Amino acid sequence: MFRPTSVRRRLAFVLLAWSAAAPAARAAGQPATATLSATISPQASLTLSTASLVFPDADPDVLNKVPAAGGPVTINAKARATQGQAVVLTVLASSDLRSGLDVIPASNVTWTASGAGFVAGTLSATVPAQVATWTGSGLHSGSQQYFFRNVWTHPTGTYTTTLVYTLSAP
Amino acid sequence: MRKAVWSGVATAAAVLMMSSVAFAQAASDTKTVTVTANVNAKAKLTLGSNAATFADADPDVTPLLSATAISIDIKARTSAAGNVTLTVQSGGNLVSGSDSIAINQLTWTVTGTNFAPGTMSTSAVSVGSWAGSGTPSGTQTYKLANSWSYNTGAYTATITYTLSAP
Repeated sequence: MFRPTSVRRRLAFVLLAWSAAAPAARAAGQPATATLSATISPQASLTLSTASLVFPDADPDVLNKVPAAGGPVTINAKARATQGQAVVLTVLASSDLRSGLDVIPASNVTWTASGAGFVAGTLSATVPAQVATWTGSGLHSGSQQYFFRNVWTHPTGTYTTTLVYTLSAP
Repeated sequence: MRKAVWSGVATAAAVLMMSSVAFAQAASDTKTVTVTANVNAKAKLTLGSNAATFADADPDVTPLLSATAISIDIKARTSAAGNVTLTVQSGGNLVSGSDSIAINQLTWTVTGTNFAPGTMSTSAVSVGSWAGSGTPSGTQTYKLANSWSYNTGAYTATITYTLSAP
């Protein structure tokens, strides 16, 4: 005859042994895998310091290139791209500068640039002009100082157009 | 075991597919900036000389005295349909003390596109007009009728040039 206390002790021992052995048995007999996947897609984020540029009137004999009021446009570009691929920032005028029926070609607007990867250029209403280019992912910042070619032959008026900046990360 | 292997292969394939899809889709961001350029009306007149002098001469030999040509350089900015005008106006007749010579004895010839010859007056007389903005230039040569009837003297008058660009 077993005493009740002895039975409880034996049962406790068996349970303890099983619980300790069971995980090991599962690990050896049924391998489990956990796949960690992270999708890194191309991303592009562009920030400009202003949404408007104004060229004040000036005497062409005094200023033949009028700088935009407010100084340079600061540009911050964040891009995640395929390794080795070019990240490109371009600007395109939606049209030539217009004041009613009067037109001043967009090429009368030029810019100088500062910052790694940024380049000087001339505005166009037909072909996107390159503002900057970099290779691969990264954060970039620079600035553009716009100028308006000021000549006596421009008809008077308040001329407007819209610049469209596009940051592309392949 | 076999099930686990196939599961891993499927997962890897899915990751590869997702990766290739991700790489195939380029990302871009766009911002716009409005541009305004103000071009206001302006007029700038430059004369090669601020004096026209006629030397004395025998009226029979030189019935029309001539001064040295004055160059005129204009810079004007106006609307496309605007009319730029240059006028002259004398403050009065040519005067020497109490003597005078009628200002209409003073005439001029010109060179240059759209410059016009004329006769001086105490009211504004056109020297030229041009359509739209531009930088025309020319010359103006003053002439003074030389008459025996003039009293001797050193006659003067002041002429005012006005360039307008609306």
